[in-house]
Amino acid sequence: MALTGRAGLFALLGAVVVLVAPAPGQAVLGWLLLLLALVVIDVALAGSVRRLRFRRDGDQLVRLGDTASITLLVENPGRRRVRGMLRDAWPPSAQARPARQRVDIPAGERRRLTTTLTPLRRGDSGAVTVTVRSLGPLGIAGRQGSHRVPWQVRVLPPFLSRRHLPSRLARLRELEGLHPVLVRGQGTEFDSLREYVVGDDVRSIDWRATARRNDVVVRTWRPERDRRVLIVLDTSRTSAGRVGVDPLATTTEAGATGERGAGGWPRLDWEMDAALLLAALAARAGDRVDFLAHDRVVRAWVSGASRTELLSVLVNAMAPLEAELVEADARAMVSAVLARAKHRCLVVLLTDLNSAALEEGLLPVLTQLSSRHLVLLAAVSDPAVAAMAAGRESAEAVYDAAAAEHQRVERRRITARLRRHGVEVVDALPEDVAPALADAYLALKAAGRL
Amino acid sequence: MSPQVRDTWRQWRLPLAMLGVFILLAIATAALSSPTPGGYLDPDATTPEGAHALTQLLRDQGVEVNVATTLDEARRTARAGALLVVARTEFLIDDTILAGIAELPGDRLIVEPYREALDTLAPHVREQGTRRTQIVFPQCDLREATRAGGARMGGTLFNVTAGAYRCYRLDGAASLLRYADSGRTITVVGSGEFMTNQRLAEQGNAALALNLAGVRPSVTWLAPRVPQGLATGDTSLFDMIPAGVKWAAFQLGLVVLVVALWRGRRLGPLVTERLPVVVRASETAQGRGRLYRARRARDRAAGALRAAWLDRVVPLLGLTGISTGEEIVAATAARTGQDALQIRTTLYGDAPGDDAALVALARDLDTLERQVGDT
Repeated sequence: MALTGRAGLFALLGAVVVLVAPAPGQAVLGWLLLLLALVVIDVALAGSVRRLRFRRDGDQLVRLGDTASITLLVENPGRRRVRGMLRDAWPPSAQARPARQRVDIPAGERRRLTTTLTPLRRGDSGAVTVTVRSLGPLGIAGRQGSHRVPWQVRVLPPFLSRRHLPSRLARLRELEGLHPVLVRGQGTEFDSLREYVVGDDVRSIDWRATARRNDVVVRTWRPERDRRVLIVLDTSRTSAGRVGVDPLATTTEAGATGERGAGGWPRLDWEMDAALLLAALAARAGDRVDFLAHDRVVRAWVSGASRTELLSVLVNAMAPLEAELVEADARAMVSAVLARAKHRCLVVLLTDLNSAALEEGLLPVLTQLSSRHLVLLAAVSDPAVAAMAAGRESAEAVYDAAAAEHQRVERRRITARLRRHGVEVVDALPEDVAPALADAYLALKAAGRL
Repeated sequence: MSPQVRDTWRQWRLPLAMLGVFILLAIATAALSSPTPGGYLDPDATTPEGAHALTQLLRDQGVEVNVATTLDEARRTARAGALLVVARTEFLIDDTILAGIAELPGDRLIVEPYREALDTLAPHVREQGTRRTQIVFPQCDLREATRAGGARMGGTLFNVTAGAYRCYRLDGAASLLRYADSGRTITVVGSGEFMTNQRLAEQGNAALALNLAGVRPSVTWLAPRVPQGLATGDTSLFDMIPAGVKWAAFQLGLVVLVVALWRGRRLGPLVTERLPVVVRASETAQGRGRLYRARRARDRAAGALRAAWLDRVVPLLGLTGISTGEEIVAATAARTGQDALQIRTTLYGDAPGDDAALVALARDLDTLERQVGDT
């Protein structure tokens, strides 16, 4: 049961009546009874909420920053018209609009209502309840009830760095060469034999094949293919820190823009962005991409996805991942990688260059990994720290600058130590980390180090 | 005391002290200079129209002065052989109060009585016109008046049927009357002005006032400050409100209840959500910076700035991490043309002595780095 503003108005009218009534005590009682009677009548005549039937339809996947629309089909099998308000409740971060809407469904009919979601957060967002308040003919009171109409929307990482993909693919094609190269070099594998044409390098003539045929035959080469790339995403506490400016802040609601943009984006999201660009590029380059998310235990594992569906499988695996506030267990991570990667592969570690965490965690077990695999570590640096390091305007700013410089020196030292261990390191600003990682991959591929 | 508390105290103590001094000054001025407030013929009032001077004189002469502002207070001290002074009769508007005063024992001195008070307290006396107050001579045999001589009298004038002293006559009517009635002496004066602080020193005013009021060892001075005898009924304000208004207020309470029920019913449950951690990655650096600042760790800060400088600039100089300080200073001096001693002080000198020196050091390092990069 629920009252409306009209009930309050009716009671207020009673105050005036009581003021002028000859017998005010009885007038109060009488007005109260009248109000109760009206409420009872109205509730009795209101359409039944319990008998409503619901069905949902609409988007189940949406990229972060985009809008999903969910339709709700409400059917009224009862004998009375259902008129009132309906609220389709979603978690606040899903930003369901409209928050509540009017419904008017005659008996035996159905209506289609649309709710749009503009999620602010990655992950799974589930519908909570559908609540209907059905008012009686007087509009004084009504019935209210809730139904569970389950629906799940998975909010995927936005993959903003896909704008860098065409230029990197062009570089890749350059590398492969639209025409197979004739010069054998590092990072090339045997492609095919063809007839000699004037201008070919005589050193590439395959004499044995020439002897079998009457023509002079040359060997052609192309960059190696079917290498393995294993992307390891660190979901521990160091990935929770927010850096840079939230790239989606400008596209979401204006009201929340300021604080959201300034609040930055978690390292984890930047790292996912970089991982997606790398995966898209490597899949085009003909390499096999696996994905592992790990902090103390394995959070996600994607393996053997076909080239065409790799990206969708990856974003689905990444969507529910959140940074956990635990210290990463590098030993467990290394053993998880070793157990899964039987052959030599490129292990791309997406983590933070945090000297304390790396020195105690990764460095002691790094040789186990780097002896069998090629390790590439990519990290997101913090532009706020760089800005702090430039502060000179007051003593306070200089103290902050000293602290920032301290951190940067530590970062450079740990980078140098990792490089001495044969680990490739990519340390870039949030907006640059995805293209920088793609470039590092292309460089490794060109150098034939995969 | 924690630093914050100490800072707050330091910041506020001067305004607080000033406020305290101000309040003390105000109290002192008020206590020393301002007259005790009070109305006409109020025995405690030191204002011009008060009667504090007279009561003080009476007390100096050994007369017990009991100040009363209500009938109950007067009843407590009035007794036979004492004098009852009744002033401010305009406040005695209730018949029962006047009757109560009439029953009090002892002599009476009635000052400026209104008609009702006059009828009850001095029933034989009739009013006979009014005159402006002025210096008048006694013109009668009353010893108190003749010994005082001229005094400021006037005001209400009275007459009496028989057997009374009629003094300070104007136009044949007296402004001071004294007669005996059933064993007590009743004195009526048409103006109390001669007893006020302002007029007491004038002519024979003080003598007359002392003669009239000081004849008995005890004086009860009844001078009400507010109208007496009002609101003594049993009906309270609440009883006078019409029943309809009360019930309407009750009905308004019901309205509040109904509105609360309307607004209090939420459309569906509250939805909870697990919130993500929001923490800037730069907070660790900021925290370290604050720690440096709080402890004034200039040595650490200078060390970090110098280490970062060496880290960046040594490769530019074509040196390696194992180069000695002397080599670095020499190479920097050669590259920039600056004084080697100054460069050594900047790169390897003592920790800065104060914050200004730290800022200067940071700027020096910047300048040096720019010079190395430019050449």
